[in-house]
Amino acid sequence: MTTTFTASTTDAAPRRNREMADVQYLATRAMTYLLVLTAVSVIGFPLFWMLLCSFKPGGELYAVPPTFLPQIWTLQNYRDLFVQTNFLTYFANSLIVAGGATFASLVIGGLGAYSLSRFKFFGIGAFSNIALVCYMLPEVLIVLPLYIYVVKLGLADTLFSLIVANTAFTLPLALWFMRSYFNAIPVSLEESAMIDGCTRLQAMMKITVPLALPGIVSVGVFSFNHAWNEFLFALVFTSSETKKTLPLGLATWIGQDNIYSWGMLLAGAVLVTIPVVLFYLLVQRKLVVGLSEGGTKGE
Amino acid sequence: MAESHNSLSGDRFLAYATLTPSAFVLFLLAGVPTVTVFLTSMQDIGMGETSGPFIGLDNFIWALSDPTFYSALWHTFVWVFGSVSIEMVLGLGLALLLNRTFVFRGAARAIILAPYLVPTVVAVMTWRYMFHDIVGIINAVLIDVGIIDGPLLWLSSQSLAMFSVIMVGVWKFFPFAVIALLGILQSIPQEQYEAARIDGASPFQQFMRITLPYVMPVFLLTALLRTIWSFHKFEIIYLMTGGGPLDSTTTLPILVYLKAFSDFEFGRAAAVAILTFGILCILLGGYFILIKRAEARQ
Repeated sequence: MTTTFTASTTDAAPRRNREMADVQYLATRAMTYLLVLTAVSVIGFPLFWMLLCSFKPGGELYAVPPTFLPQIWTLQNYRDLFVQTNFLTYFANSLIVAGGATFASLVIGGLGAYSLSRFKFFGIGAFSNIALVCYMLPEVLIVLPLYIYVVKLGLADTLFSLIVANTAFTLPLALWFMRSYFNAIPVSLEESAMIDGCTRLQAMMKITVPLALPGIVSVGVFSFNHAWNEFLFALVFTSSETKKTLPLGLATWIGQDNIYSWGMLLAGAVLVTIPVVLFYLLVQRKLVVGLSEGGTKGE
Repeated sequence: MAESHNSLSGDRFLAYATLTPSAFVLFLLAGVPTVTVFLTSMQDIGMGETSGPFIGLDNFIWALSDPTFYSALWHTFVWVFGSVSIEMVLGLGLALLLNRTFVFRGAARAIILAPYLVPTVVAVMTWRYMFHDIVGIINAVLIDVGIIDGPLLWLSSQSLAMFSVIMVGVWKFFPFAVIALLGILQSIPQEQYEAARIDGASPFQQFMRITLPYVMPVFLLTALLRTIWSFHKFEIIYLMTGGGPLDSTTTLPILVYLKAFSDFEFGRAAAVAILTFGILCILLGGYFILIKRAEARQ
């Protein structure tokens, strides 16, 4: 059928085909933009709403039906957050815990990953597998015994206990990731450095670590992000107001659910998100690459 | 000779020295606790205690004969398969969309991936405000459009709570699937599509014959990882509903937490935690078989 069609209308058919193709092309384009617009507005809405509502005064947050744009823009919620609550203490605690856990897992995990990547010795395969299993252990399984130790060692209600517990979850991640980054760097570079008189350790510090730096940075971001968001250990290990991390602090406000707290909650939510977004912007490209290259832990 | 021997033993020393700290930490923070949790699960531990007399497998027998365990198991399956299947379908759709070229692609990608970066507690607070019966935007919009007559109790009715929690979980975690699938989509050789187009394959046929088989191993691996993590997921559900109303959103991790830190029955909590991990391991076995098959087919 197509052959007779093209044969009989030699002149008009190609043009008509091209027009058809153009229409189809335009339709596909329009469809793409429509879908993207829908996806972006539906997915982005909650965050947009959070930001918008954090600038509404107390009364407007409880208006029925809700106002869309704030009728009065105010920073009152943010002011209340700093004046009426321990937000700054929570923030500092979270920084200490996330920073400590990230530092520990980068140093310990970096050394371990180097060993796993560069040497062959008995039990090495088994060790990587064990690390992977550790990575899959449910938090609720580990939190019970860790809580028992924390109580017995008198570490309850300390930030130190949170740093250690978070390291348990970020270390396997660091090991697996950094091993693959180290694997990507040819051993020959280190060998030539060693021929030039470096010791193995110097070769590692001067050649391999700088080359693997992008990978190390993204592992650091993951670890930091994990510890920054961690909630269960904080909930179980700490109790006093001065030791709360941000997620726990904010969560206790939700629990109270009193009529004036939404504004502060939303303002707090915005401020907790900012460091994460900054971090993301910092390492955006590597983050996506790292995520797609290997299996990673959620959060 | 002597020198090479030296460097070899030096290497061996360095190999063990660099690995020791990791091994030590993993041993202390994962190995020892795993043993402890097994020991704990076989003790009768009273309120405020952290150890007690050995009672063998009584805690497991209690769990396996208690209806709360089975209802928690059922809720876990609903939560895991509900959220993972929606996440994967949504993730594939959006990955295909983001794989096209259009203006503002970078911005669209950033917004679509944003929920993944937002701390869970932030996601929960925002959604709880949106789900609010009276002042929440969701009820307001649905009433305004005329879909519902009165406010729905998104989080405080037994029939809706699980649905609402799954929605939040999907919103928070589907970007993981997008990221993973986008990576593999971008690595499909374009010549394959050109060849298929010349042979007259429709876009649907191209998708079924080229795209889908190509992404399948990554798709399954992503589904596997998401299954593991949502199986463990504690804080989204805990912060959204606390496992309620009644026990309609109490999954196994929530049950473990409530048993341990609200009923203070550590032995029973440990038994439930071990059973949870066991069930997860069985699930993983199934996934691994699927992934191996998909890889073999490719």
